Amino acid sequence: MKPQAPEKLTFKELARSKDPSRRAFLRDIVVGSGGLLLFNRFLVRQVHAQTKEEKTVFSMIVVDFNKCTGCRTCETACSSYNRRETANGRDLSGLGNPTYSNIRVYPYNPDVDIPITCLMCDDAPCIEACPVDPDPKTGWKALFRSGTLPVVQNDTVRCIGCGSCAEACRTKRVGAIIPNPETNKPERMCTLCGGDPQCVKLCPYGALSYVVEGTNGKHYGFSPDLAAKALAKLWYGQD
Amino acid sequence: MANDRLYGYHGVLLEVDLTSGKSAKVPLGPDDARRFIGGRGLGMKILAEKLKKPGVDALSPENPLLFMPGPFSGFPIPSASRTCVVTKSPRTSPLKSKHPKASTVSYSNMGGFFGPEVRFAGYDGIVVTGRAPKPVYLYIDDDKIEVRDASKFWGMGTDEFDRRFIEELGDRRFRTCYIGPAGENLVSYAAILNTAARAAGRGGVGCVMGSKKLKGIAVRGSRQPSVADHEGFLAVLDAIRKTFKDGFSGGLNYDGWRRYGTSWALIDASENGLMAVKNYSQGSFEDVAKISGIAAEQKAWVRDFACFCCPLSCKKAGAVRGGKYAGLVHDGPEYETGGMMGSNLMISDLGALMKAIYDVDDYGLDQISTGNVIGFLMEAYEKKLIDRTFLDGIDLTWGNADAVLELVRKIALRDGIGDLASQGVKALAGRVGGNSAGFAVHSKGHELAAWDPHRTIDLAMTYVTATRGACHLNSPTARGQNDYAAMDSLGVCMFATDGFGKDGLRRLLTKITGTDWTEEEFLKAGERIFNLERAFNAREGFTRADDTLPARFFDDPLTTGPGKGAVLKRDELEKKLTEYYRDRGWDEKTGRPTPAKLKSLGLETLI
Repeated sequence: MKPQAPEKLTFKELARSKDPSRRAFLRDIVVGSGGLLLFNRFLVRQVHAQTKEEKTVFSMIVVDFNKCTGCRTCETACSSYNRRETANGRDLSGLGNPTYSNIRVYPYNPDVDIPITCLMCDDAPCIEACPVDPDPKTGWKALFRSGTLPVVQNDTVRCIGCGSCAEACRTKRVGAIIPNPETNKPERMCTLCGGDPQCVKLCPYGALSYVVEGTNGKHYGFSPDLAAKALAKLWYGQD
Repeated sequence: MANDRLYGYHGVLLEVDLTSGKSAKVPLGPDDARRFIGGRGLGMKILAEKLKKPGVDALSPENPLLFMPGPFSGFPIPSASRTCVVTKSPRTSPLKSKHPKASTVSYSNMGGFFGPEVRFAGYDGIVVTGRAPKPVYLYIDDDKIEVRDASKFWGMGTDEFDRRFIEELGDRRFRTCYIGPAGENLVSYAAILNTAARAAGRGGVGCVMGSKKLKGIAVRGSRQPSVADHEGFLAVLDAIRKTFKDGFSGGLNYDGWRRYGTSWALIDASENGLMAVKNYSQGSFEDVAKISGIAAEQKAWVRDFACFCCPLSCKKAGAVRGGKYAGLVHDGPEYETGGMMGSNLMISDLGALMKAIYDVDDYGLDQISTGNVIGFLMEAYEKKLIDRTFLDGIDLTWGNADAVLELVRKIALRDGIGDLASQGVKALAGRVGGNSAGFAVHSKGHELAAWDPHRTIDLAMTYVTATRGACHLNSPTARGQNDYAAMDSLGVCMFATDGFGKDGLRRLLTKITGTDWTEEEFLKAGERIFNLERAFNAREGFTRADDTLPARFFDDPLTTGPGKGAVLKRDELEKKLTEYYRDRGWDEKTGRPTPAKLKSLGLETLI
């Protein structure tokens, strides 16, 4: 996880290098070019526990843009696990309709694909923005964290559908939260599939990792537009 | 609306009449789904229904343009990413017919994400008819259907339009496809593109789209059909995902597909004398290494990208890094683009080749036919059948990349010589005269792909028996053709089918639809589709005599490489054809499906 020391390599050598350490180096350039996204030194840190008795361990999905091909298998895997369906009276995994996926791939031209999912932000601007008063017993707003995973959840009963959380996520981070088109209540917060993320498991390219553990560190998340711009510049030399 | 019993389908087709701007949801019956599956098959069935009489002008409002996903589309099945575009061809013509506008069926397949999204929007296919009074695009957002003004986009290249279109739509979750200036200008071999790189290139489908003044289609959806055996489907899918990789034992293994895509075949085909080189005269290309996947990997490629849920990622993205075209961003050569725009024109400069491929895509032309047309003109110029004046002053010598770029522009804009060249090699040979018809490389008016058939009668059979005119994605045998026709109807990619194992496709289809798809049933559906296409063509006036190749492959032996000296024998091809028609149950003399054969397939009232 330690950033590699810069080496004198040409672009093409870097881009096509099969050596994992060089690939890691390339990733670090991505980070370097504007503090972009989710990489090494920012990855691992601890999220403050949301309740006194439970200790939340930082964990999240990390994307390797060099490996992602934009195939969207992750979307179907996420949807299948998190959006269960009833068929013949039985509760089963869904058929993978990407509409309900918590991870979404945004395609760009020139060819760049940006998978976006909840960053599990330390400071959670979404929760910060929630105007619902904390419950006196739990201390939770409508949007809250609980349990050992740092996933953001919504209490749909107390949620007033104001959209502040989605707006905060969109303007301050990556826009992972999407309001329900009818109720305007927040959806698509990554669940980490209870600790066994299906997107990571089923990605045919090994482009997604599940990172658990941590030290302290400040978190950065860029919108898909900015991420795509930085990658297009890095890969194709385009501004 | 939707038929609950029709598992695996929405039971709904979206019909849009561009003349009136009105759209309607039309039910898809279980019988049609069962008999024609989806994709190419269902598209052909609808085409035959819409065009009840022969001789309809392909560019008239009457000719429907169909965008057909299949029953696999919209499910997370590996590489179920395809959209089959079906229409009556503006490219083909028979040797003789009483119908001046006679032509074959046309179908062209593209990967990407468009087909699955059509299904997410709630449709088993889109049927476009009529002609808009001014340039339009079609907007589909689940139930919201609008025909919108596209005047400001008319004339725009596909690369820029790809960007501008999505900006106009305001959400990157829309999937789009569109034409470039070539389609707008009715170049007969115009393509339909998506993601500025993938194309339904063949058969002039972009020309038909242009004739309807339809610049593009945008679709976004939130739905999915249900399947008959939900649990069983997920179990089979899981099993196929686990063994997918092992299925690739043929020419290229799984890792090879991922690393090189189809570009691996450039060197392979050249080494076997099977490559289109110098207008199909050589078979092998001495500079092939310079344009191969290995060269592109070292010099241009940056990343791999994949179609919906595909583990193969056969597409590569890259940029030219030096020389005259430094900074140009595009995917590197694939087999067909590298062959037709590269070796067939003797272009070995990778940067110039990428520029040519980029321009052909940007104008919205078919790479295969464009390379073929330019190869023909180069040969005619070399043989002094035409002079520089004929070519508007272009010095069209072999390997002259600048001349190629200029000609591509002229073709797309139908400027000067480009007007004639926009009609394809058959029309060009008619004008050039002399012995030029002998090296106008087409069958039924549709140009051959980058596989040279000099050395193999099977490839010749593949080309001449294809129902859309020359087509390399066909098989030389009736059984193989039936299998391909059925597979083209599922919405799955032909390159990926190895991964499904022997019966994986049929097992999935059975779980999805709830009807037992035996091998016999599956091949029978394919046979029905192929016979329908052939009967359609026969009605237009195509006969056995049209199932042929130009003299190039019979009279001009390959000049270089391992295939040096190879020629096809006319009598051998005729013998093969007779056997083939017999095997098909068609009339040996006319090549026409017999009434008895059509009846046995339940086609007697359709065609």
